[in-house]
Amino acid sequence: MVPYEYYLVLSGLLMVLGFIGIIVRKNIIALLISTELMLNSVNIAFVAFDMKLHDVAGQVFVFFILTIAAAEAAIGLGLIMAIYRMKKDVDVTKIAELKG
Amino acid sequence: MSIIQQIVSGLGTPNFFVLMPEIVVTVTALLILVVELFTKNKTLLSTLAISGLGLATVSIFFIQQGDVTLFGLYIVDTFSLWFKFMILITSILIFAVFNPYIESKKTFYGEHYYLMLFAIVGMMIMVSSPNLVTFYIGLELMSISIYILVGLWKKDYKSKEGAFKYLIIGGAGTAIISYAIALIYGKTGSFDFLRIASEIQDKADIGVLGGLLLLIVGLALKASAVPFHFWTPDAYESAPTPITAFMGGVAKLATYAVIVRVLIGAFPFSEEIWAYGWAILAAASMIIGNFVALRQKDVKRMLAYSSIAHTGYIVGALASGNAIGFQALIFYSLVYVFMAIGGFIFLSAFEKNEGWTNHIDDFKGLAKKHPVMALYMLILMFSMLGIPPTAGFMGKFGVFIALISADVWWLAVVLVITSIVSAGYYLKIVANMYMHEPVNDRKFNLTPMEKSVIAFLSILTLLLGIYPAIFWDISNLLTQSLVMVSIAR
Repeated sequence: MVPYEYYLVLSGLLMVLGFIGIIVRKNIIALLISTELMLNSVNIAFVAFDMKLHDVAGQVFVFFILTIAAAEAAIGLGLIMAIYRMKKDVDVTKIAELKG
Repeated sequence: MSIIQQIVSGLGTPNFFVLMPEIVVTVTALLILVVELFTKNKTLLSTLAISGLGLATVSIFFIQQGDVTLFGLYIVDTFSLWFKFMILITSILIFAVFNPYIESKKTFYGEHYYLMLFAIVGMMIMVSSPNLVTFYIGLELMSISIYILVGLWKKDYKSKEGAFKYLIIGGAGTAIISYAIALIYGKTGSFDFLRIASEIQDKADIGVLGGLLLLIVGLALKASAVPFHFWTPDAYESAPTPITAFMGGVAKLATYAVIVRVLIGAFPFSEEIWAYGWAILAAASMIIGNFVALRQKDVKRMLAYSSIAHTGYIVGALASGNAIGFQALIFYSLVYVFMAIGGFIFLSAFEKNEGWTNHIDDFKGLAKKHPVMALYMLILMFSMLGIPPTAGFMGKFGVFIALISADVWWLAVVLVITSIVSAGYYLKIVANMYMHEPVNDRKFNLTPMEKSVIAFLSILTLLLGIYPAIFWDISNLLTQSLVMVSIAR
């Protein structure tokens, strides 16, 4: 059996990857995917800790995180649709108006 | 015997009576959700919302006895009841001035009303959480409702962009907070504040330390402390102004409350660590917030940066790590909510009119045209600046005393110096109102309700500065209740 530390390392890597994605990506859809990646990496961490603790409370928490990630994705896609209709573009550098 | 009956007989029914305010607000929100389908009558919708909130406020007074209910997932004590009371009262004030604004901007959505109510439910859940699960659910219910509220502006691109920025950065904050919860759960095997506190004691190892650090980062992001403040000015500027008042006043109040609740509840023994973390965040927020606000020409954006600076002053009290600090934080956050929503409601009242763009030059000669309103704005600005005898002075004084009592001199010095810097922009508004001749003689239309709400808020700010003992006693009581609960449970 794979020890739980390996899963933790995986989840930490995905978390950092998502964070880097938010900083460097310029496409607004990719930004949304990066936040989802961060949230889903947390699910792996919870399940890994449950493996260590022989408990199920963490897996229950995963359901809450899944729900919240779904709600955020719905809002994010709605906003992307609205932005695309107005600007016909998804590149952050071209559509940004708020500055200062 | 069915399974449900077995569960109920095994665990007992939760005490629903102490959940009355939450139930009333949720039912009102669901009612508006249905009613809004059939009617577009704004007066009816806002009357429903205000009466629901009023009923919830009244129901708070019927709760004589606090309780830990929902199988240990929900705590109703003096602290949470007082904060619920403040959240409901300030939300009623915002609902009272909401309709004229969206009517003049022609941006009506029925969603505004029930989403605000859901956000209020989220805040109420948040302030009464003895458990990381409840805390997380409340925080997200509030945040997700507010993401939508920022974006709800018909045919306005900036509103969508502000909402999207808030969503991405807020979503990252959510992920960081949940990772922190995962680390703390992995170390202690529990979500309950008390169990976490007794597991950790004072032997904080690398897992707990990482979890605590990430939790502070996530909470700082939600409370918009520097360097996690990038969403704040954009989201505040682009949202409809009453919604900005809601985010900048009410949601901030709930966030400060939950910061104190989590830190005292779950990490009472690692106070040196989080005190140091908050000290750095507070110093950065004060410096960056005030200096960037100096060069803003848009008053709404200026107030957004001023709210970042105020986050610095308020969480700065945590750097002391003692009871005086918690008391100062609670006092300042309670009086700050009145100043913040006062300032934003002032802008929303004027923004309805043609020829008002929130630019700093629009304030020129306002004292000649609207002497009474200018006086109210003067009081609010002096209070944010911290000139006695206003409530803002007492708040800053409390934080200053707390910092000195814990020998955090450097932060106290930063607080005083950045307060002096902040005079540069608050007094610019006052100077424009009183020391310039009007550019034109166009008068602005304000509804009587807006006038009375602004009057109420500014006079309250003044009164709380003259008699701070009322709120000081309340914050003393709340600190005691908070510390006692974490010891007794």
